[in-house]
Amino acid sequence: MTKSPLWLRFAVIVYVLGLIGVPLGFVFQRMFAHGWSALVSAFSDPAMRSAMWLTVRVVVVAVPVNTVVGVGVALWIVRHPSWRSRLIDRVIDVPLAISPIIIGLMLELAYATNGWFGRAEAALGLHIIFSYPGIVLASVFVSLPLVSRQLIPLLREIGDHQEQTAASLGAGPVRIFLTITMRSILWATAYGVSLTTARVLGEYGAVLIVSGNITGLTQTLTLNIGSNFENYDAFQGFVGAGVLATTSVLILLVLGVARHRERKRHEHLA
Amino acid sequence: MAPDVTAPPTTPTQPPSRGWLRWRASGVTSATSQGLALSFYSLVVLIPLAALFSSAFTHGWGVFWRDATAKEAIDAYRLTIECSLVGAALNAVAGLGTAWVLVRDQFPGKAIINALIDLPFALPTVVAGVTFYTLYGPLSPVHLTLTGTWVGITLAIVFVTLPFTVRSVQPVLETMTFSAEAAASTLGASSVRVFFTITLPTLAPAIITGAGLAFARAMGEYGSVVFISNNLPYHTEVASSYIYSLASSQNPVGAAATAVAMLVFALIALTAVSITSRRLVRGR
Amino acid sequence: MSISLEHLSKSFGADQVLTDINDIVPDGSLTALLGPSGSGKSTLLRMIAGLETVDEGRIVLHGRDVTTLPARQRNIGFCFQDYAPFYQLSVFDNVAYGLKVRRKSSAEIRREVEELLALVRLEDFANRYPRQLSGGQRQRMALARALAIKPEVLLLDEPFAALDAQVGGELRQWVRSLQHELGITTLLVTHNQAEAMEVADRVVILNRGRIEQAGAPAEVYDAPANDFVRSFLGPTTPFEGEQVRPHDLALVSDGPGRPGQVRDVIRLGFEVRVVVGFVDETSSWIQLTHDEAQRLNPTVGENVTVARRH
Repeated sequence: MTKSPLWLRFAVIVYVLGLIGVPLGFVFQRMFAHGWSALVSAFSDPAMRSAMWLTVRVVVVAVPVNTVVGVGVALWIVRHPSWRSRLIDRVIDVPLAISPIIIGLMLELAYATNGWFGRAEAALGLHIIFSYPGIVLASVFVSLPLVSRQLIPLLREIGDHQEQTAASLGAGPVRIFLTITMRSILWATAYGVSLTTARVLGEYGAVLIVSGNITGLTQTLTLNIGSNFENYDAFQGFVGAGVLATTSVLILLVLGVARHRERKRHEHLA
Repeated sequence: MAPDVTAPPTTPTQPPSRGWLRWRASGVTSATSQGLALSFYSLVVLIPLAALFSSAFTHGWGVFWRDATAKEAIDAYRLTIECSLVGAALNAVAGLGTAWVLVRDQFPGKAIINALIDLPFALPTVVAGVTFYTLYGPLSPVHLTLTGTWVGITLAIVFVTLPFTVRSVQPVLETMTFSAEAAASTLGASSVRVFFTITLPTLAPAIITGAGLAFARAMGEYGSVVFISNNLPYHTEVASSYIYSLASSQNPVGAAATAVAMLVFALIALTAVSITSRRLVRGR
Repeated sequence: MSISLEHLSKSFGADQVLTDINDIVPDGSLTALLGPSGSGKSTLLRMIAGLETVDEGRIVLHGRDVTTLPARQRNIGFCFQDYAPFYQLSVFDNVAYGLKVRRKSSAEIRREVEELLALVRLEDFANRYPRQLSGGQRQRMALARALAIKPEVLLLDEPFAALDAQVGGELRQWVRSLQHELGITTLLVTHNQAEAMEVADRVVILNRGRIEQAGAPAEVYDAPANDFVRSFLGPTTPFEGEQVRPHDLALVSDGPGRPGQVRDVIRLGFEVRVVVGFVDETSSWIQLTHDEAQRLNPTVGENVTVARRH
């Protein structure tokens, strides 16, 4: 293939670096703008600390849940087509197409104390909206398709001949999954899990509505950043932003590795 | 295998045989796990969707219509759709160019550029939002004041949606053999003509799909846009901000009505995209 | 002891794929399930394997009614057309898979796998991965893997279809001799009649979900039960109102026969085909051996007499 013209290459590099690279660099610049000691004391801000802790607690639940559900649903849709699984297949991408504000609103309308299930929840002593479970629920919602979407086309492409062969050799379904299926979908799943983690870490609009944004209680790190900015504490906001920018870059690295490994796995099939 | 913005075409194979798994678990466990999956999706997605629609129509069609077509709402829709269209269109072109360079060229630092494309996927929207506000707003080190302008909003949208347009075209470019282009060259066509008459039509479905996804995402964007837009009602308030303001001012019905209107727009847009790209594919 | 198929039927939705299949596969034989695509042969094989459910009928393997048993309890070895290698496992681990499932000791596994790898001549590839193997090598690995569990029945789904002519030919002969040596009842699905005739002790011909005929290769070839079998198993040409084998016709210099004129002579090297046209506007083609053609030297336009050889 002939190379593209020099001006195009130049334009693209400038575009990407300017559009994406500059803001990224700017976050870090702001974070360190007042020196090391200012940064350290910013980390001892109690609101930000509890926000970080809450975010961690949300990730630790939402990501594994979505991974298990995502893998299970992908296997179900591809290997056991039925009207039910076809319905879910259509519906899977919905969370990606809806504004997070609308998602938050939907969840609030369904599960707040004056919502549809409000009375049922109160009877069971459950508090979902404006509380930790609600934040987890919103996080699960927004990232629901991310693992499945990676696995469904992959599982279709791989086919199930290997699994059937393993069955003929005497393996049961659990063994088949652990020894055969999992190995072929490993890197694609890792990719999906990384995207899920990034999404859960970074969710703003939906969590804004569903949590009530109560500082120190139901405020995630993203909300904390927003709140600091609104209160004209830009530096504190940028410190939080820097933390999340760092995690984003780390996730990007993992995405790159997963993509590379998956490509290698794919190339070696022929 | 880019972030899978477009599901790659699946070649229909022999339907998976059920025999080998049919007896592995009794019918009961199989039905329960399917039931569990359905309940999970219902609780998380389907029921809240239903609650939204039900709430929007609590007071009937008349109130729904009034809420959905309030002046502030219309202004918000217009602003959102305009900025999203411009942003998606711009990124459709930029995405094509970027994917082209990434697939065909080798240069030092290419891996970094390739990785940066995914950053807007990975970065929290609020981080983008506050950064853009500071970079291009009143405190801007480059003396730009884009706050409260549609340019600022569109800029944020362009940032957030670039990965969609690049990653939808990239895989198609990677598997293209360019043999049709070579044939056209031998027939005497200039490279410009070859590009516009051969290459572009081949890529059109992927470009359209990417732009469609970008548009849908842009329409619902909140965190990256809310800071730089300044949220002036009737002027620089995007739809999601408007819905939020309704929701937090004890007007859930109005918020729900406007949300339903937005969902309808998104549905129309996505359907149009899928029809167009399918028609383009069929015409080949 | 053998495989007994009794009144088997299967449909996929509205599609009736197999209808009333009855056959007994003799113990220790290599039987080919032969038929065009869509004849149901692969489905039948998979039903015997337990990878496909049975709508009606029974399958009895070595005296056991296995109709409702899942694949993993049937003690069969199955090889897919694409060999289905476990890509993430080494060749050794592929072959050892069934043994690990049966919880054999690692010493025992090592011994048996090494024996099998030697049998299929892959002993030097034990630590390689499937992606490093050629098509023929992957086929042999798949066979070794299936044989490892000492199955009572070996089922091969189009095993040679993906290989080029030379490799496929060699592998065919090798599989045939291996099967004779081990004596495992083997069922092989193919659409290639030459392959079936070359390899199998017994051929079962399927068409559109039914068995047309079953018997030894020579038997079905020389005494086909109907036109379908005749035309599927070998070339036919019309002569005197019937379909006959081109090699049953000859060019005679004297004696009774039909007079005609040579329209075309096609030399394929080992055989020569002579197309002869007759007065009534029909034509037949005659298959001559290389030597016969040299001797007779047919030329286009020549007047000849065509008769049956026997």
